[in-house]
Amino acid sequence: MQRLWLTNALVLCLFSSSQSLAATPLVVEAALDRQVVAPLLAAFEQAHPGIELSYRDRSTLEVNALTAVADPPPDVVISSAMPWQMNRVNEGYAQRLDSELANEWPEWAKWRNEVFGFTFEPIVMAYRLDLARHMLPPQTHADLHKLLSTQRDTLQGKVTTYSPSKSGIGYTLFQQDARYTDRFWDLVTALGDADAHLESNTRAMLEGLSEGRYWLGYNLLGSYAMVWAQEHPEVIVQVPQDYALVVMRTGFIHRDAPHPRAAQAFMNFLLSRDGQRVLAAQTPLFSVRSDIVGPYTAQRLRDQVGDRLYPIPLNASVLAFVDPQRRDAFMARWQREFNRYQGVNDD
Amino acid sequence: MTQVIGTLKARLAVWLLVMVSGLGTLLLMEAYYSTQRAAERAFDSQLEAAALTTADSVQWEGSAPVVRIPPAALQILATSHQERVFYAVLDHNGRRISANLAISIPSAGRTAAAIAPTWLDLTQAGTRWRLHGREYDSAGWDIQNPVQIWVGHTISGRQVLASELFERAIIRFFAMVLLAGILMLLAMRVALKPMRQLRHRLRKRQADDMRPLNARVPEELREMVEALDTLFTRQRESRDNLLRFTADASHQLKTPLAGLQSTSELALQSRDPDEWYRALSDVHDGAKRTSRLAGQLLSLARLRHVEEADESLPLDLRKALHDSVLEWAQREVAMQHDLGLAELPAEPMLIQGQAWALRELLGNLIDNALRYTPPGSEITLGLNAIGNHIMLYIEDNGPGVDPEIHPRLFQPFERGGRQDTHGSGLGLAIVATIAQRHAAKLQVKERPPHGLRIEVHFQAAGEES
Repeated sequence: MQRLWLTNALVLCLFSSSQSLAATPLVVEAALDRQVVAPLLAAFEQAHPGIELSYRDRSTLEVNALTAVADPPPDVVISSAMPWQMNRVNEGYAQRLDSELANEWPEWAKWRNEVFGFTFEPIVMAYRLDLARHMLPPQTHADLHKLLSTQRDTLQGKVTTYSPSKSGIGYTLFQQDARYTDRFWDLVTALGDADAHLESNTRAMLEGLSEGRYWLGYNLLGSYAMVWAQEHPEVIVQVPQDYALVVMRTGFIHRDAPHPRAAQAFMNFLLSRDGQRVLAAQTPLFSVRSDIVGPYTAQRLRDQVGDRLYPIPLNASVLAFVDPQRRDAFMARWQREFNRYQGVNDD
Repeated sequence: MTQVIGTLKARLAVWLLVMVSGLGTLLLMEAYYSTQRAAERAFDSQLEAAALTTADSVQWEGSAPVVRIPPAALQILATSHQERVFYAVLDHNGRRISANLAISIPSAGRTAAAIAPTWLDLTQAGTRWRLHGREYDSAGWDIQNPVQIWVGHTISGRQVLASELFERAIIRFFAMVLLAGILMLLAMRVALKPMRQLRHRLRKRQADDMRPLNARVPEELREMVEALDTLFTRQRESRDNLLRFTADASHQLKTPLAGLQSTSELALQSRDPDEWYRALSDVHDGAKRTSRLAGQLLSLARLRHVEEADESLPLDLRKALHDSVLEWAQREVAMQHDLGLAELPAEPMLIQGQAWALRELLGNLIDNALRYTPPGSEITLGLNAIGNHIMLYIEDNGPGVDPEIHPRLFQPFERGGRQDTHGSGLGLAIVATIAQRHAAKLQVKERPPHGLRIEVHFQAAGEES
């Protein structure tokens, strides 16, 4: 009986390996713009011609939901919403990756060898040149608060930031900001007072800036903003001089991945020199590895900005951000502070 | 031949090994459980800390308790081993106010936690969890119900810590065993030093050195050294006996030989054939006596020094006695004596013995009686069973022997204080030797009114101990 089972397993193995020679499918659910990451995907497909990559670009909340309910489940899950990713890993939706690359990956950028942060994206402010003509552009969070308070009339309706309710990453950033100082809530009050527009992604904020709808944006993903600024000279990117948050795109192999070998190959590629070199040279996602040279590396960013980079930690503490009660309390306070001088709910 | 049965070192090593493996198993079992406990305690205290931190963040908002789970509590829960974490805050009805995983807490655990902080081990979807629950009294303005706080994590860190601790305990244990082994070897060298010294002393001794050892030895070796000393003493005595016997024998042989020499010298000075004939017959008598003496010496030496090569068999003493008396009664030497046999018992008198030796014993006893009693004396032999002994006796009505000499009668060349016989003085010595070989006891008694009685007490066959 057992022998029969073994034989079946063997046949199954042979079958699946011969299939992989033909083309193993690989499903990646990702909250990461396809056009941004395209060079990386192309490099992977070139390195692994036997794998047929199916890359599905979605929002963070969709990716999070699919992790639990998709049938068949995806092979690899990628998202910038670190608390949600961590929550899924804590729930046991990830499987370990014990490759050499995974073991050598820096401790601060992985958890349990299950989830790996493979990019290093600073959170920045961005402003239009118009702003600089009227006032001294902000360099720190305190500057921003002062500017919003003193130039309220000029900036009315011309400020934008993430919506904490519509964007997982925006919510995470505000949570982290609030962890550092209670003065953050003054900033929220000031944002609300200036009638700030709440967008659900960085691209929308950048478009608004280029179109002239907005003069000032707060908490934008630096990776997108820096590329945008190169093509749109009217937008200036400012890495905050007091502290700059850093988010990591995190990826893990799904516990029930239908194609675990292909998934491992994909994750290993993300962590490998080749993959990270593509990240550093052809995408604005910033490589985590310190042995990679290119315009977009964590090392280069540190050299430019100094020690004021504060990555959102990839550890159990961020699980608190997805606690429903904590989230409700946070959102309640947000609404309270944001609408303090308005009485109107924009959100 | 000395048989070597391993070395003392090997024996001690085996004992050490047995003890170490026995004790070691116990010690390692103890170490295993104590390391498990230590790891358990270390990680349980982190659960406790996380629970307390969480309790601190419970507040009442209106009529419902609200918990803002603190990030620090989660990080404490995860520990440096990056465990998966679980927390749940329950209201007094067991309803979840807040929780991050769907792990269900057994109601028994909830009851226990209501009384005192409690710990639980459970397996959820193939993963083992360690949970800690405690009740927290928190008072709101409207409602004052307790809330239960449950925290937990996976146990890989505990396993890693326990196996690390256990590994260290094993290394410590084996280092100890190694050290103990080395110390044991050293101790053995020191402890066995007196034995080595004794060996050197014995090896250096001259062959004829029979003095006591006079060695300084520990208590354990005292008996052995004493036994050796006794052996030396006995050997010295036996050697002295041998020397005395040889000297006596030479002396005994010298006298008749000197007689032969003087007789032949006298005869050679004469031309008279009659003288020659007389001298020659004297020489013949002397030579016969000397030859008999030499023969008896030889048989004594053989009896004393030939080990028991012949097998001893059960034999009936009645037959041996009957045959010997009958044979001697027909000899010429017995013609002038009344050699008789007392009435023999009806049942067989069996002893374990050698037939030739018994014949020799009886012959010497009879010969001795014939030589030392005047013609016409009565000589009687008999057998009696006394308990498990068989007593063989020979008695005569001759002149007897001074009782003071009785103890010496069985020594070689002792002639019972008489110089008037041609006896060699070896007869009874031979009897004594044969009796000793048969584990028989000799007794010499006076026979009233005059005469001598010699008893030989044999052990009856089949009664041998």
